[in-house]
Amino acid sequence: MENSVIISKDFNAYFGENHVVKNVNISIPRNSVVAVMGPSGCGKTTFLRGINRMHELVAGASTRGEILLNGENVYDVHPILVRQRIGMVFQRPNPFPNLSIYDNVIAGYKLNGIRLPKADRDRIVEHSLTRVALWNEVKDALNKKGSFLSGGQQQRLCIARAVAMEPDVLLFDEPTSALDPVSTSTVEELFHELKNNYTLIIVTHNMQQAARVSDRTAFFFLGELVEYEETKQMFTNPKDARTQNYITGRFS
Amino acid sequence: MTQFETEIHGVRTELTSMWQLVISQLTKGKDALLRFDKHLAREVVQTEKRVNAFELKIDRDCENIFALFCPVAVDLRFLLSVLKINNNLERIGDIAEGIAKYILDTPARFDEHLLEATELVRMMDLSLDILKDAQVAFENENTILARTIFSRDEVLDAINKQADDRIATCIQEKPASIHEALYILSIIRKLERVGDQSKNIAEEIIFYFEAKVLKHQKGLL
Amino acid sequence: MKAPIKYRIGKSGAFEALTTVLAVACILPLLAILYYILRAGIRRINWHFFIELPRPVGEAGGGIANALTGSLIIIAVAAVLAIPLGVLCGIFLSEHKTSRLAYWSRLAVDILQGVPSIVIGIVCYFWLVKPFGSFSAFSGSVALAIMMLPIVIRSTEETLRLLPDSLKEAAFALGLPFHRVILRVIVPCGLSGILSGVMLSVARIAGETAPLLFTAFGNPFLSTNITRPMQSLPLLIFNYATSPYNDWHDLAWGASVVLLIFVLFLNVFTKLMTSKWKIQL
Repeated sequence: MENSVIISKDFNAYFGENHVVKNVNISIPRNSVVAVMGPSGCGKTTFLRGINRMHELVAGASTRGEILLNGENVYDVHPILVRQRIGMVFQRPNPFPNLSIYDNVIAGYKLNGIRLPKADRDRIVEHSLTRVALWNEVKDALNKKGSFLSGGQQQRLCIARAVAMEPDVLLFDEPTSALDPVSTSTVEELFHELKNNYTLIIVTHNMQQAARVSDRTAFFFLGELVEYEETKQMFTNPKDARTQNYITGRFS
Repeated sequence: MTQFETEIHGVRTELTSMWQLVISQLTKGKDALLRFDKHLAREVVQTEKRVNAFELKIDRDCENIFALFCPVAVDLRFLLSVLKINNNLERIGDIAEGIAKYILDTPARFDEHLLEATELVRMMDLSLDILKDAQVAFENENTILARTIFSRDEVLDAINKQADDRIATCIQEKPASIHEALYILSIIRKLERVGDQSKNIAEEIIFYFEAKVLKHQKGLL
Repeated sequence: MKAPIKYRIGKSGAFEALTTVLAVACILPLLAILYYILRAGIRRINWHFFIELPRPVGEAGGGIANALTGSLIIIAVAAVLAIPLGVLCGIFLSEHKTSRLAYWSRLAVDILQGVPSIVIGIVCYFWLVKPFGSFSAFSGSVALAIMMLPIVIRSTEETLRLLPDSLKEAAFALGLPFHRVILRVIVPCGLSGILSGVMLSVARIAGETAPLLFTAFGNPFLSTNITRPMQSLPLLIFNYATSPYNDWHDLAWGASVVLLIFVLFLNVFTKLMTSKWKIQL
């Protein structure tokens, strides 16, 4: 598929001897939202962190196989460059507490020592905050610390921070599990907007979230990719009995 | 508008289009009958495929929304009623097609006297009005209008009941037109069904807006 | 039914009262020391006391300018030596929680913290004073730096460990290299904790006498040459307080007040600073 941004080929991930992601083959179409779901410990987060090489930060972690980003194996590129092209948003909102909202958005440039003219910085900040529907809420408080915002706003700030780097792909690791229902739906609506410009991979243990936001869904179980389907297909007529059991809640 | 609202809105739009198509089918059936226009009748038969396609599409969309968004409360009632209204509309579409087929099968124009004696034309107008008003009620959240449909359906039932005697009389008067008369009787039976379907639709509309179940409970009207 | 409950309530009240009394008892010694030293030393404190050298025996007046300068220089040099080393070591320990090297360094730091200050003084004497043939302020600084190290290291480590991992992940996920993650994110976020560790360690060594006996040695004159012997406040207090002359005793009391206020100021300042600069996580 030439329209795939991410292709994983026989991807495996380990924690020491522990084989947590087993031979995953998947291809992620451009400008789509792909949800990765599965029970706890099924390797979905590890797989996600394998994509932008965050997995290897853990002591004893290793991988085998390829993750192709636009046809190039990310394991042949320096992790710093990979992570600048694949943004990531985490479970808990984690804005830099020592930086203002403004600096948080351009943190990817500022902290990396990339100097931009003021006009460019202003443009990036406004653009990114607008993209995450936060601009109107914070445009008068850009110099306040990011930690003054509410949880949902902080999470959107973190998304803006990832968006500011203009990555090809955005990874979300259970992005709403620490948020209240209203913030959750705000963030979920955002996914539909962001899809126009980026490719989104969202790990979630909330099936309904996967159903609501994604175009395609991958179901992981015990480290294996059991099924990867159009979301509508997955939730109306799953192919695999394990998927069926999981999404219907008949899981032993 | 959230994604969910977009999806719901899509279904609503589809249902409206289907409704209009079915109304036009029935109207064309009536016109074809009055003018004995076989071309128009053929058109109705052809177009029935589109009604069926609508039915499948709405079914599938509802299924997806149920599976993906887990609708609750008013959204759940909306989708449940859409599913059933969809079903009823499709039946009415079939009825329109059936009427058109009779016209295609009949060799000659129906006897004016026969049409008048059986109140067939009035019946057609009545059933069309009911169907249109049901749509208006649905679009405008007008449950009062929806409730008028029940009594108007009874008028159709009454005409239907008298039809047997009237047809029998007609046949006695003019035994040569027995085939014609039986066609008319069949059409009357079908139009009576349109009334029933519309009544079901009205019940769904009231269920949707007021969360009240009126089915099989005559006293509550 | 009633009597046992009354007894238990009474016991509970008595215990609470006991803890309160003992808490007050802890404050008393400090207040007593403060009162005694201030009473004995405060009358010597004036402008001249800070800018004059000690006078020979028999002459009234005189100040502690040499000791004040000496103390500041020795502490400053010690801080310059110990802070970068200590902070970097603390960063290493917080980053490598389980490695073998971290285990041994942590053990070493703990032992170092327990080494008596006089022993550190002797060691520095053999390392630095003997080979160079002269007592020197620098050797004193080294001795004090060694004493500072464990405090700085442990406080840095503890502070950085308290920072959530998510912060580091956020930085890594933006494609920051390791050194930028540490220097631009982790250290700034833990700055108040690291600084308070540094301040406390300075407060701790400001009053150290034992390691300086063999190293900085003391000097009755004003000196700013760190390769030569130098006076410092605790040394001055030690020397003059053990002397037989009343004038010198007064001088020692005055110096004690200065030292005490300096240390107190550092502690209070640290407290204020940590609460004010604390970064909301």
